[in-house]
Amino acid sequence: MNCNALLAARQLGKTVTAGDESLTILHDIDFSLPAGESLAIVGASGSGKSTLLALLAGIDTPSQGDVLLDGVSLSSLNEDGRAALRGRLAGFVFQSFQLLPDFSALENVLVPLELHGTPAAEARARHWLERVGLGQRLGHTPRQLSGGEQQRVALARAFATEPRLVFADEPTGSLDTATGERIADLMFELNAATGTTLVLVTHDPKLAARCSMQLQIQGGRQGALHVQSMPDGWPA
Amino acid sequence: MIRLTTRLLRRDLAAADFRLLLIALVIAVAAITAVGMLAERVKGALTGQANWLLAADAALLSDHPLPQHYRNGQLRMANTATFPSMIRSDGRTMLAAIKAVSAHYPLRGKLDTTLGNAPAPLAGEAYIDRRIAEQWQLKPGSRFQLGQSTLTVRAVIVREPDAVIDFSSLQPRVLINEADLPATGLQGPGSRVKYGLLYAGEASAVAAWTAQLKPQLQRGERLEDAREARPEVKKALERADRFLQLAGLLAALLAGVAILLAARRFVQRHYDSVALLRTLGASQQQIRQLLGGELLALVLLASLSGGLLGWLGQGALAEIMGYWLESTGNQSLPASTPLPWLWACAYALLLLAGTAGPQLLALSRTPPLRVLRRELQPGLRLGLQWSIAALATLVLLWLTARDLKLALLTAGGLLLAVVLCGLGGWLLIRLLLSLPGAHWRLALRPLARQPGLAVVQLGALTLGITGLCLLTVTRNDLLAGWQQRVPSEAPNHFAINIQPEQAQPLGALFRAHGLSEPAFQPMIRGRWMARNGQPVEPASYPDERAQRLAEREFNLSWGEALRADNRLLAGRIPAAGEQGWTVEAGLAKTLGIGLGDTLEFDIAGTRVTAPVLALREVNWDSFRPNFFVTGTEGMLAGQPSSMITSFYLPTDRRGILPEIANHYPNITLLDIGQLLDEVRRILLLATEALQLVLAFCLAAGLTVLAAALELNAAERSREAALLRALGATQSRLRRLWLTEQSVLGAVSGLTAGMAASSTGWALGHFALEVPVAFNLWLPLLAMLAGMLLAVSVSMWRLQRLANSTPAALLR
Repeated sequence: MNCNALLAARQLGKTVTAGDESLTILHDIDFSLPAGESLAIVGASGSGKSTLLALLAGIDTPSQGDVLLDGVSLSSLNEDGRAALRGRLAGFVFQSFQLLPDFSALENVLVPLELHGTPAAEARARHWLERVGLGQRLGHTPRQLSGGEQQRVALARAFATEPRLVFADEPTGSLDTATGERIADLMFELNAATGTTLVLVTHDPKLAARCSMQLQIQGGRQGALHVQSMPDGWPA
Repeated sequence: MIRLTTRLLRRDLAAADFRLLLIALVIAVAAITAVGMLAERVKGALTGQANWLLAADAALLSDHPLPQHYRNGQLRMANTATFPSMIRSDGRTMLAAIKAVSAHYPLRGKLDTTLGNAPAPLAGEAYIDRRIAEQWQLKPGSRFQLGQSTLTVRAVIVREPDAVIDFSSLQPRVLINEADLPATGLQGPGSRVKYGLLYAGEASAVAAWTAQLKPQLQRGERLEDAREARPEVKKALERADRFLQLAGLLAALLAGVAILLAARRFVQRHYDSVALLRTLGASQQQIRQLLGGELLALVLLASLSGGLLGWLGQGALAEIMGYWLESTGNQSLPASTPLPWLWACAYALLLLAGTAGPQLLALSRTPPLRVLRRELQPGLRLGLQWSIAALATLVLLWLTARDLKLALLTAGGLLLAVVLCGLGGWLLIRLLLSLPGAHWRLALRPLARQPGLAVVQLGALTLGITGLCLLTVTRNDLLAGWQQRVPSEAPNHFAINIQPEQAQPLGALFRAHGLSEPAFQPMIRGRWMARNGQPVEPASYPDERAQRLAEREFNLSWGEALRADNRLLAGRIPAAGEQGWTVEAGLAKTLGIGLGDTLEFDIAGTRVTAPVLALREVNWDSFRPNFFVTGTEGMLAGQPSSMITSFYLPTDRRGILPEIANHYPNITLLDIGQLLDEVRRILLLATEALQLVLAFCLAAGLTVLAAALELNAAERSREAALLRALGATQSRLRRLWLTEQSVLGAVSGLTAGMAASSTGWALGHFALEVPVAFNLWLPLLAMLAGMLLAVSVSMWRLQRLANSTPAALLR
């Protein structure tokens, strides 16, 4: 195991039960992701990509194996411990945007900042909304924003806490191609500018190709791990 | 966190469920505040009115002059001395009830005379009873003798505040100044003077003083307050109290249901937000702080606005009642303390914690994974939540009513409605679903798909409508039954000291005046000597009232059968020739007399012994002569007796009174119309109060309806949008909703009507002791009302949906 890994999965598996039957939806996932890199988890619908993202982010618990986030074993933490770690290290972007519907754009970005007691939260939230091009739409609620604009708010929210890691679940999945591309551009631009590590779930090969690593999931099993460019001395 | 809480609160205030939560809480606080404050004020006024019957807040009565240490400088005081004595004028004599009073008499109420509202008579002057004036043709300025003094008539008494119905003072009143008493020479040893020391002042000061006095009382001294003074007033006060409590209790209950439902919708709406916050790193404790802070703010907001609304509401009610009170010559309502409002705030907190608390705790456990899988939500453990809510509600009911029986009866009636409605409604829906045609299936599918929710909606609608029924139709039934207890033609005169041979000619006199002949009852004075061969020792009873009852002479009677205002509780009524007593159950309980006990009475030197064969319940409100102990003709017919009767005399037939007085000077006539008026006035006052408090209960009931419909509003919107997107026309949608809501409303209404009728009957029968028949029309009326209410609220919602495009609704 590489001790410089920001995120690592160790023999990770997930089994669900429905009635008397149990179904294993993830088997023996095992990889490490160094800080500053970007990882695309790819696979067909129902292959277990989103389940893997949930396990990696600590919003779901594995049936087997463990996840190490910044060297901390998630299985050693309870739900509140995992929440604290997420709050300290991670940002999120979702396919369905997941904005609070009654909050304005500015207020949505403020939520994680105020939750963690970040100083000068409002100035920082304004800065990030300006950075994603929504400086003029601060007071608008999600209902008054287009899908692309809503995802920009979600990006601002994800990067505003200056996380070391951003998890993105199909970030362009609900957008048309052109808008999706602009959102992807923005996300990778922010990622590069801040040096954040990115974990991205997508079924879009073009989007996946923009990541430095690609992890193929097929029927819940780990396929090939493609590494396009790795830091010196990093074993694939 | 505070900023986030404030922001969440601000945004939530725009959401329908949160507003419903706020409205339900505001109604709960307002209703409890208004009912509490009004009850406090009305109780004050009622006690004030009842205090009129005492002319004071408390009275110390004694058979000997009262020592100085019973005087209290902090309170207003007045002395009274009453005794029977002969008065003389122009060679005629009459037995009168003399009352000598000090300058400040009366401390409460008004002394109404032909001069108007008068102070105590001055020395040398007297106010006399109308009967003396009528019989002797005395006018102001006329003179008469009392003992060794000559007094001048100053006025005729119209209404005396502490007019009593007490067989020891049935004679017409002569009111004089206490300064004249020594000169009459009537106060010597052996005279039967009853001394009274009246107190009035701040309620708390009076209460403190009476509490201090009680342990110091000597033999022959007793303390009375309004409630102890007159059993019939006490009963009226208690009933008034219970009716007000019932109204408050229902408002609290209905608000609790509305809160429970609105909280469910609030929780449903917040799953996504909480999952997101948890994904973004919020701990469970932070979530609880956020929600707790928001709900605390909600309670504060509701407490302030509800308190204000309640205060204004009771103010308006008090204004109307005050006007009514003044028009009847009474003082206005006393002010209320803020205590009911503080209670209401505590109630609101308990209501919210008890009903919404478990759901909110569950909400804080929302798994963060819900951001990816929307179907996930924390285990709600509905059974546990409803149990906690039910328990909290029962505690609230009990706290409100301070009467476990009333609380349990009301809760039981409503619970019965929910169970019946849940089962009945569910069966009916299953039946309708099996009918052919897509219309029924489409219309009832939302109800059939989620049986639990359907039962909740049915139950809530039932509760709302039951509340409305109880407080409209059932209330009227109860009030009608209640007022029947003191019918407007209840006897308003008593005639006593009638010699047995005078009964027949007196009856003829009544007939000659076009009046129906009154029923005469024999009355025999007897002293209770022994029970089961053991001598009676009054001092052996720990209870003061029991001591008094055992000590005094009993009025015994006999009759042929059980009268309509009596009810046989145990044993059997003895036949005319048999030896056996029947005893009033309350007295039997107080004195420890049981069925089969042998009682011995001394009647003018003759001992009469017989076993107790029956225990009776007596309706004292009938205002007919009733007796604690009755025997049989065979036992008592030969004993020295007089007759007693009571009769109703309309004002225009009062001409018979001087005729009776002239023909039969031995007969004493007693006008109890005034006492009846007081009792009826108390009943009316309570009725008014209750009627006006109804507004809050109605509002709470309607909030329950709105909350029930809001519960699955989001789902409904999506479904409507989907159906419209798939080509359903607005009128088709409207028909579907109409069908569904009509079924929901009809089933709820029908069950609610039956439950309200049963509850009303049970309340009347067991708790309030008034006769109420099962109202057969009520279920039908309630069914129509339920349909109308459910349909009108749903049509309003449908109209809202119709104004949005399917795309907007689906997004």
